Amino acid sequence: MYELKAIDKNFPGVQALKSVDFHVGRGEIVGLVGENGAGKSTLMKVIYGAYQPDGGSIVIDGKTVRFQNPRQAMDHGIGMVFQEQSLITNLTVMENIFLGFEQQFVSMGVINWSKMAEAARKQLAKVKLDIDPATITAKLSFAQRQLVELAKVLTLEERVDGDLVILLDEPTSVLAEEEVELLFKLVRDLIKRASFIFVSHRMDEVLELSDRVYVMKDGSVVDVVSREHASINEIQHKMVGREVDKEYYRETKQIDHSDEVLASFENVSHGSRYSNISFELHRGEVLCLVGTEGSGREAILRTLYGLDKPSSGTIRIKGRKVTRFRARAGVRRGVGYVPRERKVEGIVVGMNVYENMTLNQMERYSSSGVLRIGEEKELAQNWINRLGIKTPGVNEDCGGLSGGNQQKVVLAKWRSAGSDIILLDHPTRGLDIGAKEDVYDMVREISADGVGIILVADTLEEAIGLAHVIIVLKDGEMQRVFRGFREGKPSLYDLVHHMI
Amino acid sequence: MATITKSANLVWEKTKPHLPWVTLITLVIIVGIADANFLKPQNMISLAADVVPLFIMAMGITFAIYIGGIDLSAQSIANMTTVIATVALAMFGIGAAFICILTGAALGAVSGFVTTRLYVPSFVSTIAVGGVAYSVGQWLSGQRALYMDAALRENAFAWMVGNTAGLPHELVIGGTLLFIAWFLMTRTSFGRALKAIGAGELAAVASGLNVDRIKVIAFALSGAFAAIAGLLFAVKLSGGSPTIANGFLLPAIVAVLVGGTPLTGGVGGMINTLIGTLIVAVIRSSMLYFEIDATKQQMVFGIILIIAIAATIDRSKLRIVK
Repeated sequence: MYELKAIDKNFPGVQALKSVDFHVGRGEIVGLVGENGAGKSTLMKVIYGAYQPDGGSIVIDGKTVRFQNPRQAMDHGIGMVFQEQSLITNLTVMENIFLGFEQQFVSMGVINWSKMAEAARKQLAKVKLDIDPATITAKLSFAQRQLVELAKVLTLEERVDGDLVILLDEPTSVLAEEEVELLFKLVRDLIKRASFIFVSHRMDEVLELSDRVYVMKDGSVVDVVSREHASINEIQHKMVGREVDKEYYRETKQIDHSDEVLASFENVSHGSRYSNISFELHRGEVLCLVGTEGSGREAILRTLYGLDKPSSGTIRIKGRKVTRFRARAGVRRGVGYVPRERKVEGIVVGMNVYENMTLNQMERYSSSGVLRIGEEKELAQNWINRLGIKTPGVNEDCGGLSGGNQQKVVLAKWRSAGSDIILLDHPTRGLDIGAKEDVYDMVREISADGVGIILVADTLEEAIGLAHVIIVLKDGEMQRVFRGFREGKPSLYDLVHHMI
Repeated sequence: MATITKSANLVWEKTKPHLPWVTLITLVIIVGIADANFLKPQNMISLAADVVPLFIMAMGITFAIYIGGIDLSAQSIANMTTVIATVALAMFGIGAAFICILTGAALGAVSGFVTTRLYVPSFVSTIAVGGVAYSVGQWLSGQRALYMDAALRENAFAWMVGNTAGLPHELVIGGTLLFIAWFLMTRTSFGRALKAIGAGELAAVASGLNVDRIKVIAFALSGAFAAIAGLLFAVKLSGGSPTIANGFLLPAIVAVLVGGTPLTGGVGGMINTLIGTLIVAVIRSSMLYFEIDATKQQMVFGIILIIAIAATIDRSKLRIVK
């Protein structure tokens, strides 16, 4: 009934979807799994109309359709329940449910609120949520808001002829166990009304709920398994697409770090973001911070870099107490920051390779403010050769490079500035396998050079593979510290156990 | 179909940087055909000299637009400066010039400070500062036109508007300022920082640049250039009035945008603004030729402004437009 045929989607330097075939039957629950960067979210965006595919077609009930925007997809019965919820929290529940579709309640230019409340109650009943539709959304619990979001999507039932397809994006990630059970029960009840596409990284949940599971890897669907024949191990194996190989993370190249302390946190707290964080980073060490989104991982990086002033505690860098919190001061202290949003914070799109590489160290390449552009180009060329950056030349706009090469430019920027503490925030996010491996090689090389690295990894496997030390965070607090070098590495289970 | 739009986009992206000078030459040819006198060197030179105050103001605004902001106070600062120049000339002679420039820079710095520290968007902060400047001009002048003492003007400022071997001194002033502004933008770490802020402010912050300070300097430069424009205008007209530069703002912004520095910032620059100003000058004189009434000129510039913005703006940088 709903079908994607040979969908392609390209972004500059990366093919995010490669000839993806996908279909959903009436009343079916279909799972969608894959590692970060496998193409799940791109595929979802194509389905709900936020992206237009570059190739292939979308077929609904035998008819080929094209969506220019999510609204058009909604008109064809495609609804999305967002992970980061889309409700406007200062509106009432009913205003949110009918946002953009208030016209039906308008008579003579005014909204008939009681009519809207009545209709909202009907929608809320579908998701078995018994609340006053006039409640301000901000007052609801997270789980309740998710149900409101679902109720909002279910209004399509009345508006659209034909069947509904509802996307659930990581709907369980913030729910407690019993809330997950309730949600699953609800979804099973709702298959009379709609088909579901269930996206999650929790393999057990996907298998529990879905009739079939699509496994994605590197932008392609590598397998479709039905529930009866699926095992978690098998799916995991297909997602990763290789034996979970030790060498993938260059573990034999991992060397013992020195005892010299580069940076230390002593009982550092930052308002509600994290509290009582203490650790030492040594020369040549890779220290990983793991935890769920919002556990304080990134906030700790930003504090160490100097972007955020902590509320209490002592930070020392190379023995000196840090008192000034400004990125500029961080750069002077020898701290380099490779941000998660590569294209927003890492490189400047619109500036070329040498301009990007010296952006953090222009005073070294200028005399009384006048730039020595020849030297800048020389520096850039050296690093292009050294890291094998694929670019037509130093004058090329960094925005046109592939993600992996952009990341190399960012790393070169800090290495050339002489930073000996480098903070890596999701350095492999959105990179393809080859580019990821390049990053892992660089991590090993850099730490062999005596740089201390603090890493927030893209996956737990990556953290385990790369780290000397793993600090598990939950709600801004340190839960456990694992020391894992070569054979003594913790298992996935060890980490997850303390994260949640 | 998707590939067609894609390659069409690519062609558009490739042609876009060349549009300004192609437009300029096309316009010159069209007007030249319509009116052969237009192409005479004499006419061209006086046309260029006339447009210098506008050009200086537009260069100032370029600093603000290049970092993704805007300076709407330029015209009011120029207005105020004509009054200050006239009043201060009687007291300080040539020193009046420094007073004017410093006042302009200080007001620009205030806009920058309000924008960066109080998080007020620059279009609001510069309108507010412009309001202050405008009213200072009115207050100082008693809302009258003031005239410079001929002898004092001769001593202090005559060099600005003289003529050596057929070359108007305004052009020398405009050229010198262009060189300074161009050098700042393309050859110094300050200019590089401006570009980084315009093209990717968050990356500039993450690279440790002192973004706030650089922004304040950019707005101060914009204010200083507006003041120089006002000063030159006052000298040319031998006097000042709080409304004398009205009608400058729209063409100045048009000059920047038509030249190819988009409102989103990060690309373009002073040479672009030079071309943009010349385009404005040619359009203006062609309006005279085609007998378009002076009162209708702002209409034309308003329409051109909208077209120029729509054509040059980088929509990928705009998630939400309010």
